[in-house]
Amino acid sequence: MKIWTSEHIFNHPWETVTKAAMQKYPNPMNPSVFGVDVLDRTVDQQGRLHSKRLLSTEWGLPSIVKSIIGNARTCTYVQEHSVVDPKEKTLELKSTNITFTNMVSVDERLIYKPHPEEPEKTVLTQEAIISVKGVSLSSYLEGLMANTISTNAGKGREAMEWVIRRLNAEIEELAITARGSIRTPMAAAVTEK
Amino acid sequence: QELFLKMNSVGEGCTELKREYDQCFNRWFAEKFLKGDRSGDPCTEMFKKYQSCVQKAIKEKDIPIDGVEFMGPNKEKPGS
Repeated sequence: MKIWTSEHIFNHPWETVTKAAMQKYPNPMNPSVFGVDVLDRTVDQQGRLHSKRLLSTEWGLPSIVKSIIGNARTCTYVQEHSVVDPKEKTLELKSTNITFTNMVSVDERLIYKPHPEEPEKTVLTQEAIISVKGVSLSSYLEGLMANTISTNAGKGREAMEWVIRRLNAEIEELAITARGSIRTPMAAAVTEK
Repeated sequence: QELFLKMNSVGEGCTELKREYDQCFNRWFAEKFLKGDRSGDPCTEMFKKYQSCVQKAIKEKDIPIDGVEFMGPNKEKPGS
């Protein structure tokens, strides 16, 4: 068992970060994710949105290796359950691998909340619990995996920043297009005189 | 126009349905849900179509979806 935890602050409000988290893939920092599917989605009695998602990832092995060991063996699937509370402003994500469970177990938990002192910022706390099964070098391997998770968490935050920039650019582009499409009929109306 | 890159579904034939649903959901999520508007979800029909496609693909690919809990009692899962 190895537990890894971390805390990070985003210089963006909670709503922006939450929207980005729901649209995190695809992004250049997670090229191995080839499929994201929503399996279930409901709003509970307290108005919180529950989503169950399936993340399909590929190890990126060279095609010759894949042709030997078969395509199915190179895919890993992760199931994620998220809860968005729009009143309390919390987003919680829990994920676990559902394949290769006889070898390794990686459980991750992420919580996004507004920064308690600076409301235009968001705090992310995350933890991962890793177990490698039935291997005598398990604590060494777990240590390696914890390093990978730490590196990936950095990539994950970069990915979030990337998605936030894209979202903001999209909003900007829509605003410019909207202004343009209002201007044209107005200009036409003026010249028509 | 497509400013945003889009994700695929695990079911190759379901990607279009998934993207349509995602677009509907993302709009509802940002403009209604997060702003406290509890009016109905406009995406239920799209979701149903997308679901019937993707659940079939998941069965075909033998992906072991179940009620897996985070650090739950059935974490000691047999096989992969």
